[in-house]
Amino acid sequence: MKFQVKVWRQKNRQDAGRFETYTVEDVIPEMSFLEMLDLLNEQLLKRDESPIEFDSDCREGICGTCGLVVDGMAHGPKRACTTCELRMRNFSEDKTIVVEPFRAHGFPVIKDLVVDREAFDRIIAAGGYTSVNTGSAPEANALLIPKDIAEKAMDSAACIGCGACVAACPNASASLFVSAKITQFSLLPQGAAERKRRAVRMVEQMDREGFGNCSNHAECEAACPKSISIENIAVMRREYMKGALAGA
Amino acid sequence: MSVKSPILDAKIPDGPVQQKWSDHKASIKLVNPANKRKYTVIVVGTGLAGGAAAATLGELGYNVLNFCIQDSPRRAHSVAAQGGINAAKNYQNDGDSVWRLFYDTVKGGDYRAREANVYRLAELSTNIIDQSVAAGVPFAREYGGTLANRSFGGAQVSRTFYARGQTGQQLLLGCYSALMRQVDAGRVKLFPRREMLDVVLAEGRARGIVCRNLVTGEIEKYAADAVCVATGGYSTVFFLSTNAVNCNATAAWRCYKKGALFANPCFTQIHPTCLPQAGEGQSKLTLMSESLRNDGRVWVPKTKGDKRPPQDIPEGERDYFLERKYPAFGNLAPRDISSRAAKEACDNGYGVGATGFSVYLDFAEAIGRLGESVIRERYGNLFAMYHEITDEDPYRMPMRIYPAPHYTMGGLWVDYNLMTTVPGLYALGEANFSDHGANRLGASALMQGLADGYFVLPATISDYLAEHRPDGMTTNHEAFTESVKAVDEQTKQLIGINGKKTVRDYHWELGRVMWEKVGMARDEAGLKEAISDIQALREDYWKNVKVGGSNEDLNKSLEFAGRLGDFLELGEVMAVDALDREESCGGHFRKEYQTADGEALRNDDKFCHVSAWKYTGDNKTPELHKEPLEFDDVKLTQRSYK
Amino acid sequence: MSVIRIWQSTVGKKVVMAVSGIFLMLFLITHLAGNLTMFAPDDGALFNQYAHKLESMGVLLYVAEAGLLAIFLFHVVAAFQVYLGKKRARAGGYDRDASKGGPSKLTVASRSMIITGIVLLIFIPVHIWMFKFNAGQEFTYTEVGGEEVKNLYAVVVESFQNPWIAFGYTAVMLLLGLHLRHGFWSSLQSLGAMSPRWTPAIYAVGLIFALLLAGGFLLLPLYFFFFGEIPDAGMGGGL
Repeated sequence: MKFQVKVWRQKNRQDAGRFETYTVEDVIPEMSFLEMLDLLNEQLLKRDESPIEFDSDCREGICGTCGLVVDGMAHGPKRACTTCELRMRNFSEDKTIVVEPFRAHGFPVIKDLVVDREAFDRIIAAGGYTSVNTGSAPEANALLIPKDIAEKAMDSAACIGCGACVAACPNASASLFVSAKITQFSLLPQGAAERKRRAVRMVEQMDREGFGNCSNHAECEAACPKSISIENIAVMRREYMKGALAGA
Repeated sequence: MSVKSPILDAKIPDGPVQQKWSDHKASIKLVNPANKRKYTVIVVGTGLAGGAAAATLGELGYNVLNFCIQDSPRRAHSVAAQGGINAAKNYQNDGDSVWRLFYDTVKGGDYRAREANVYRLAELSTNIIDQSVAAGVPFAREYGGTLANRSFGGAQVSRTFYARGQTGQQLLLGCYSALMRQVDAGRVKLFPRREMLDVVLAEGRARGIVCRNLVTGEIEKYAADAVCVATGGYSTVFFLSTNAVNCNATAAWRCYKKGALFANPCFTQIHPTCLPQAGEGQSKLTLMSESLRNDGRVWVPKTKGDKRPPQDIPEGERDYFLERKYPAFGNLAPRDISSRAAKEACDNGYGVGATGFSVYLDFAEAIGRLGESVIRERYGNLFAMYHEITDEDPYRMPMRIYPAPHYTMGGLWVDYNLMTTVPGLYALGEANFSDHGANRLGASALMQGLADGYFVLPATISDYLAEHRPDGMTTNHEAFTESVKAVDEQTKQLIGINGKKTVRDYHWELGRVMWEKVGMARDEAGLKEAISDIQALREDYWKNVKVGGSNEDLNKSLEFAGRLGDFLELGEVMAVDALDREESCGGHFRKEYQTADGEALRNDDKFCHVSAWKYTGDNKTPELHKEPLEFDDVKLTQRSYK
Repeated sequence: MSVIRIWQSTVGKKVVMAVSGIFLMLFLITHLAGNLTMFAPDDGALFNQYAHKLESMGVLLYVAEAGLLAIFLFHVVAAFQVYLGKKRARAGGYDRDASKGGPSKLTVASRSMIITGIVLLIFIPVHIWMFKFNAGQEFTYTEVGGEEVKNLYAVVVESFQNPWIAFGYTAVMLLLGLHLRHGFWSSLQSLGAMSPRWTPAIYAVGLIFALLLAGGFLLLPLYFFFFGEIPDAGMGGGL
């Protein structure tokens, strides 16, 4: 297969950036989207052109490192799928594929398609944990957690922190990411002691990072490779208001 | 009987194996709480071992600097572990105990691990579950609210805890959150997108690291009172493996080149049920749970090069080779045996698929017996994943599988305290060699990473730190200047070669040599060839590689180039080690040493030892040091799966 | 924690928008109910009586109007803050922009909230000027139930004889429908009242609500444009 790809190139944070169009040959349908870019990069290197920088690691949809906006959709056109899991057979050779970085004030572009997502770490640092030092944990079965509650907590905990929710949101809101962590802990007895403080601190950190407001478009849920529900955002709002009104 | 090398003092405490750890902890020197903040500890890596260690050291009050190559600590490759984590909780009342987990692990490692370490691992396994639950890890539960377990990897007890198919992710997020809590408290400082390129030694002690800022390209230096390396394994030496594309051996290898011994490099694990390679553009291989072999039957056509679609090949013309060779275990034969048999079938021309490098894993019989809905219930997500990747429906036609490198048991040699042969330099998790011997059991990698990080290192490091008080070491010391210079030169050298072949071209070639000659079944001739092949490839690499770009900004080709430079050395040492170990054990199979039935044949008289290799200079054969292994509690026996 | 700090947070702002939005929706329901009295076959007597009752509330009416205005301003100010926040958070757009569909509720309605909102913001003063103040002209009076009352009905019917006003009003009501289509469910989601079990139902109710309200409001201009006759001044219909 042979594809035309229009890719965002940007030298560094300061650079204005521009699109370049390339032709990639010898693509096979089984290739992942990133393997197609690998192939293009090999071809570029051999022509003494600079390869396209993009982030990736596990290449099986769990580490959350990769993330491109392909044809206007975070992680490309397939739902419940990361960019590394996306296969070239989902594309037609007739149409130029547009590849862009996640665009958000909270995710500045470092180079080409690589963005800085450290804001997510700072949000977790603001309260996405239980304050239990190593060694002071009680016996695991001392805490009984009903199966359905554990399953619901797992649904929220499945977030891979890729940032597709921010990329897909017209407002570049990080609400889905933040709410998934707040919801996980709001369901579990382990997080209960610092529940109010956590919700308020994490929301306020999210705001400081310059993410937009959630306007309930729910595009984040559609883009989420782990199909995390916007119900989490509803929970986050309840948790925040409870915390804020209680003066946490 | 192997003779003990004087430089390998494992410092195993005296006393019965059950008492060693508690006695040792009671006698470890402590650092006064008020003094802890005066110590700086560097932790490289943020996976289960590194992340847990950095968080726990922070909680204890040390000043921690934590580095990772990813953009966030949460992305370390521990995240990809699927199956679960073992712990001797005996919640199922099925006869499990610390002793049994200890016994299974020593036996599973084919008697090439230290008893004392393994016992400690089994002992700590229960604390790990407590700690992880307290951190909010949503493990699977029973209706009554208690934790659920399953049996894993042929174990006779149900001791594996799991969180769907994402146990590694959830455990990592648990220790990542503990880590971020310490970052918030100001006790841990994070350095993401940094690659450690050297460990700095002063007066014979590890006193800091030099790393490359992967965004700016700047070579940075950091001083500390101790350095802990938790940078994972080296399966990507094979190019195609189930490991993440950024997994590498560079940090550990640079420690080796500064004097830390590298132990059992030839002990690698190959996983039998991975998706086969689709073409030359493939960047990694995807693992599918081994549980598939519970219902799938492995076969190849009886005729070489049979290109008919599988459904057109009549029953009589199929070779169910695992069932034929290992009638007792059949398709459930252990990982190494199944992997080897599949590769052998393909090498002999019986392989299927476009490349001829895969074997069928057929569910037709199981679907006929149990119905499609039962199979869907059991393996629905795996079938969907397979379908998505290959565009073939495994409900209609057999899956195609092929083995792939998955885990490396070898690593930096460490003593009981996890210290390498360099004072003040520690190695944790998959980066060390310590607990799995020649073969790792399923659901034990996560256990070891967290045991090292949460419990072992934070306890043992004070013994060293109490003896080595902060002395005002800064990065102005000339050892740092020299190290920065060397790293900088090498980086510029790589950019400057500007040859004809890309890093990927070379990595691909190295991978092929490693897979064919230092892979699952090795022999003397092949290993000797591998050594000369790798030497030639390495020489060519430093003359003819094309890296591209600049060293002054983000340049992934340059990152890969540095890592491959190290793999081109490590690969050779793996072959040297495999050649030296004239026996078959665990993941190391030498064709010359097998029973009449094709089983691994250990040689306990000559090789019941750890082989630790000491760097002696570039392009020189490393020096072998032996640590004899003594088995006081578990009797040495030959395994049989017939 | 101060109320200001809550407002400043993204979550708090959405709560302000949701609560004010719900009040505004309740107001719209009562407003529509009042409007529908115009369809009583009594030449506007019931409607005029209703309007008169409201006016005769005196101070209470002013309080209610002031309250409504305040709620409206809360809604508007928070909306602009959200919009400016969005502009900051996503400076540049994508070259190609598409929705992934499925659970997404990204629609013309959700995307155009700021536009439909601004149209309503401009429309409302005009609307008040037109009907509450009869565009600055003297009202005529009519007798209902033995009382002399303003003939607001005549003003409405007369206004909608003008095609510009009738169709302009209709267009704005369509935009109001669009605004409510996203606003109704969004307000409940912003208050955290959603769960996967209820969301599809509430989202569907939101559509029905938007259709009913917009439909109800735009029935009036269309009806009077096509079928309306200016009632004779001073001729009050009996009840």
